[in-house]
Amino acid sequence: MSVNDGPLIVQSDKTLLLEVDHDKADECRKAIAPFAELERAPEHVHTYRVTPLALWNARAAGHDAEQVVDALISYSRYPVPHALLVDVAETMARYGRLRLEKDPVHGLILTSSDRAVLEEVLRSKKIQPMLGERLGPDSVIVHPSDRGNVKQALLKLGWPAEDLAGYVDGEHHPIELAQDGWSLRPYQREAADAFWHGGSGVVVLPCGAGKTIVGAAAMAHARATTLILVTNTVSAHQWKQELIKRTSLTEDEIGEYSGSKKEIRPVTIATYQVMTTRRKGVYSHLELFDARDWGLIVYDEVHLLPAPIFRMTADLQARRRIGLTATLVREDGREGDVFSLIGPKRYDAPWKEMENQGWIAPADCVEVRVTLTDEERLAYAMADSEERYRFCATTPSKTRVTEALVRRHLGEQVLVIGQYIDQLDELGEHLNAPVIKGETRIKERERLYQAFRDKEIQVLVVSKVANFSIDLPEAAVAIQVSGTFGSRQEEAQRLGRVLRPKADGGGARFYTVVSRDTVDQEFAAHRQRFLAEQGYAYQIIDADDVLGGV
Amino acid sequence: MASMEFTEWIRARSDAQLRALVSARPELITPVPAHLEGLAARAGSPSAIGRALDRLDRFTLAVVETLAVQDGPAPRETLADLVGRALAAGEPEPALGAALDRLRDLALVYGPDDALDLAPGVRKALDDPAGLGPTVAEVFRHHPPEQLDELADDIAPGTTGSGKERLAAALAEPAKLLEEVSGEARAALDQLAWGPATGRVPNARREVRIGSARSPIEQLLARGLLAATGEESVTLPREVGLHLRGGRVHRDLLAEPPALEGTAREQGLADRTAAGQAFAFVRVVEELCERWSFEPPGVLRTGGLGVRDMKRVTTELDVPEWAAALAVEVAHAAGLVAQGGGVDGEWLPTTGYDLWRVRSTADRWVTLALTWLTMDRVPGLVGERDERDRPLNALHPDLRRTAAPVVRAAALGVLASAPGLAPSRASVLDRMAWEQPRRRGPLREQLVEFALREAEQVGVTGLGVLSGHGRALMAAAGIGPGAEESAGTHKGKASGSKGTKGAAAKAAAGDPAAVLAPLLPEPVDHVLLQADLTAVAPGPLTSELNRWMTLAADVESKGGATVYRFSDASVRRALDAGQGADELLAALERHSATPVPQALSYLVADVARRHGRIRVGTASAYIRCDDPALLDQITADRRSASLRLRRLAPTVIASRTSRAALVDSLRAMGYAPVAESLDGDVIVSRLDGRRSEGPAQTRSVPASNGLDPEVAAAAVRALRAGDAAHLARREPVAAPGGAIPRGPATSTITALQDAIKQGVRVWIGYLDSQGNATSRILEPARMEGGYLTAYDETRAAVHRFALHRITGVAGLS
Repeated sequence: MSVNDGPLIVQSDKTLLLEVDHDKADECRKAIAPFAELERAPEHVHTYRVTPLALWNARAAGHDAEQVVDALISYSRYPVPHALLVDVAETMARYGRLRLEKDPVHGLILTSSDRAVLEEVLRSKKIQPMLGERLGPDSVIVHPSDRGNVKQALLKLGWPAEDLAGYVDGEHHPIELAQDGWSLRPYQREAADAFWHGGSGVVVLPCGAGKTIVGAAAMAHARATTLILVTNTVSAHQWKQELIKRTSLTEDEIGEYSGSKKEIRPVTIATYQVMTTRRKGVYSHLELFDARDWGLIVYDEVHLLPAPIFRMTADLQARRRIGLTATLVREDGREGDVFSLIGPKRYDAPWKEMENQGWIAPADCVEVRVTLTDEERLAYAMADSEERYRFCATTPSKTRVTEALVRRHLGEQVLVIGQYIDQLDELGEHLNAPVIKGETRIKERERLYQAFRDKEIQVLVVSKVANFSIDLPEAAVAIQVSGTFGSRQEEAQRLGRVLRPKADGGGARFYTVVSRDTVDQEFAAHRQRFLAEQGYAYQIIDADDVLGGV
Repeated sequence: MASMEFTEWIRARSDAQLRALVSARPELITPVPAHLEGLAARAGSPSAIGRALDRLDRFTLAVVETLAVQDGPAPRETLADLVGRALAAGEPEPALGAALDRLRDLALVYGPDDALDLAPGVRKALDDPAGLGPTVAEVFRHHPPEQLDELADDIAPGTTGSGKERLAAALAEPAKLLEEVSGEARAALDQLAWGPATGRVPNARREVRIGSARSPIEQLLARGLLAATGEESVTLPREVGLHLRGGRVHRDLLAEPPALEGTAREQGLADRTAAGQAFAFVRVVEELCERWSFEPPGVLRTGGLGVRDMKRVTTELDVPEWAAALAVEVAHAAGLVAQGGGVDGEWLPTTGYDLWRVRSTADRWVTLALTWLTMDRVPGLVGERDERDRPLNALHPDLRRTAAPVVRAAALGVLASAPGLAPSRASVLDRMAWEQPRRRGPLREQLVEFALREAEQVGVTGLGVLSGHGRALMAAAGIGPGAEESAGTHKGKASGSKGTKGAAAKAAAGDPAAVLAPLLPEPVDHVLLQADLTAVAPGPLTSELNRWMTLAADVESKGGATVYRFSDASVRRALDAGQGADELLAALERHSATPVPQALSYLVADVARRHGRIRVGTASAYIRCDDPALLDQITADRRSASLRLRRLAPTVIASRTSRAALVDSLRAMGYAPVAESLDGDVIVSRLDGRRSEGPAQTRSVPASNGLDPEVAAAAVRALRAGDAAHLARREPVAAPGGAIPRGPATSTITALQDAIKQGVRVWIGYLDSQGNATSRILEPARMEGGYLTAYDETRAAVHRFALHRITGVAGLS
């Protein structure tokens, strides 16, 4: 037989199927990880996708087409269609034909190793206004303020430019990691190093893997004033505490720039919200970007970066940027903007592998199907279509099952997560547990989180305000009663709530309570698919098993 | 007279040589000429010579050109000397000998070695042999005699004779004249020396004499070194040109084809890559046909496939547009899709597709690849514009180019000559330009480019190297390195007809499907089930499992493996198709290499739980009544048996008879029913793939121009017979008297076939066009398309006889 016995199967839609139980699976995974995004990781066969962005990420990381083709051919079980190989080589060859460089005389210039490409690009109406005088057959001046815009536009044309124009050092500020009683995990060090060598870019780590620490390590590399952009105030506080704990920085050196406080210090943490606030149609806090000579900008949860921040980032191309995220997938499909404005992916580690190494807790996902009572079914059938989800997501039957689940896990730290405030209030009342929702004040939130951490309270009911960037280390059980229509991002975040390693090393439980035969179940199907694709054990049980089991 | 000599020479050729001639130049016997004189005449016609010259390689053509610049017959030594000087390296022999053999085989050169001459008409067919201009006599023909006299007086004073003769004599040795002209003038001549021999200058016909000549051009014109051949053009006479070339006709001539340059690749890797692509190509074509089964695109009024439909195919198949066009064209040419259905016509898969689909992947590929190799359509032109600037559509009649299969065969032939090498495109073009220099041109270059690109896409080549199965495919199509005209014959190694060589190559290379099959993924009989409700088939599935999986799950991605996804809808579909939930789970367990995930078995159970709880049926009428007792009474009544009643519920009975009949019957039974209006009943119909009704229309041109040896033999026989008749001026032979032969049609055909094979005469009965029964003595030559071509001895001419009018055949003793 001349057909290879490899672990990889190449599909015509440019997905790669990796048979996990194969002897060479690990070896093969390492070979293909640089140029293929892991899309699904269920138990037997993992799916990777080769996209232009993934190939360009690989190019940016120093891999060439030859390596990619070689990896495909040597691990593929079946012959790889030639057309696909050609496509890979051609796509990769597009990266770096154009380069942004620093010229001692003219400042920023765009140079090309392929005159035809430069000509093509110069003819583009979008790009013309950003460029200045043509310096020669192969180079042209770029207005420094358009560095980001040019990169964005070039990526859209399919000729991503390599940015070699370098960075400003920024204002020096001593920052050291204070590794007393803890130390950087190997992957955290690798991630920070990979970022620093690449200049700018994105580090992809699962929730609970310690992205904040990677950020701190990056700051320790830069030793410069740093601007940190985070999703919300609670997250800002946590960054601050974490930085005080993990680095040589003191409380006075870290400023908070949010709705309530406007401190600008060597390290300043600002929220996306305050940055995107507009007064009379103008962004009123843009001056923050120029308030200091920042040497590093940290973007937390880069997959949630709002569009205005992208535009602001386009003007910050001379500063080093690090993006931190659990996933490159954006629900708005703006992955390309992340690539061109923040930078290519610099580090990536699959969840499952981190879990195997014990850095994050393994999780069992359980879907509990609740059969609605006859009256509920009738009411559901008659509900308006826009009210249907709300109705089936908040039925009293669910409340009963949730109570039963909480009773089952008596003594463990339980988080109940939901979308609808009435439902949460009702649950809080039934479970005799505090509720954190949008209107809960920051102080109160933090007090409750602390009490939960200290195990003073064991059950906490939270709305979607808790989706992002809070640290609840000991939540062993999460019960999801309603959500935003099965969004993948939300699922990842919520699962992240229970993935922090437990003190006892035990696994986590992630329940989802679903009303049978309703749209709730349809959304649950998305959720199931997402979680199973991430490689989590997924089980479906009937509510009667829960109710009967107590 | 040359043509007489030529005819005699032809006549003197042996039968084997004549067979070789007509095999190599089949156009000479379509239709078969009456006699050898006719054959010789046809061999001298410009079009036949053009076609024969088109087939020559660079070296052989150079031999012809060298002969063409001689005044008349030339001895072989002269030829060897001239060719030897033209060669870039090496000796003229043995290449010259091989070339002469071949030229004699083709009847382009005739005569003994000491007086070789070109066949009549060849000189004329070569306008400017080797880029040389016309002879002095020719080039000055239209000049007024007094001007020629002046010219002759200037350059050859003191000689006598007509101006033209003196001029010719003087220019035959132009060395002295050339010394007289300035350096600039000499440079201008050198420009024209290696052709083309014509240049442009303003006012070429000016009057100049040596004394008054000033500019370099005038110096040349005044000496006859250039001749004005138009208002603005001057031509270098052949004699001067030859002198400038130092007596050589060509320069840097290669006796062997130029070496191919490119990247060396491991043959095994190339084979695997090609096989991967072959697999992908078969799949693409299958997917195309499947999609067109349900959503056939319309046929344009001009024929062809609309631009928007083409775009859709491109998107759906996820291949570049040219590759999509290739798949469409090959599917059509292979008879898998055809025009059919609807008033305006749609492109639909044919029943041939159904037959094709059930064959093995390797067999399917061979069908497609052979079609591609031999079809005269050029998918690469899709999307380009025609002369009238209209876009060319796929499947449009204008996409035919007769040269396409020839070029494909030639391009693959080049690849075949270099195993393990991926030659660069330029290098392939170079080689082909050497092999058939007269066929160069932009279209040809484009066709070569298409051929190489498509060969890769079809999976004939991998990484630019001809694959093992590609080689076998060429042999199966009767083309290959052995069949290529230049390779074998040129070196003088092989002789004999191409047909036998093709057959030998075929035997050596093996069946393409058998060569390809081991490289293709082997069918697997299991799938891997996963918790995200997908199933991965790690290879092509056995056909039974494939059908089952397609029923119970939806295909999500294809390629080396297939990814299926189970969903509510797909499980329901399986249940609808009569599978029980338990059966379904058992089948999953049986076919899965891994345990069935809990989520999947839950899904099956959950869908099964809801499946069939609501039941839907068809009834043409119903009886309802609030009193169950009354309905009991009706069902119990014997007279109601014919109404085929079914009790659906205590108060409802459904019937399969019509409402009117039911009402009538009930009335007849003594009840007083009232008809109720109906809201119509549900008719469930299954969606079926549609098929074209018309037969697949395909047209293919044999890639090799080889002629069936039997046909060649028959033609030669007919020619000989005709010639004998022609020479003898034979009187028609009277047919034997007595009963006209009669016999059944089948035995007629067998008898004629035998006669053709054995080359014997027969006596036939024939109904002429007026319906009169006649009797003829024939020497049958060949039989095709319902006609027999034979030399009719009773009429002393070659005729075509309609087979259905032959009433019988009898042998002649």
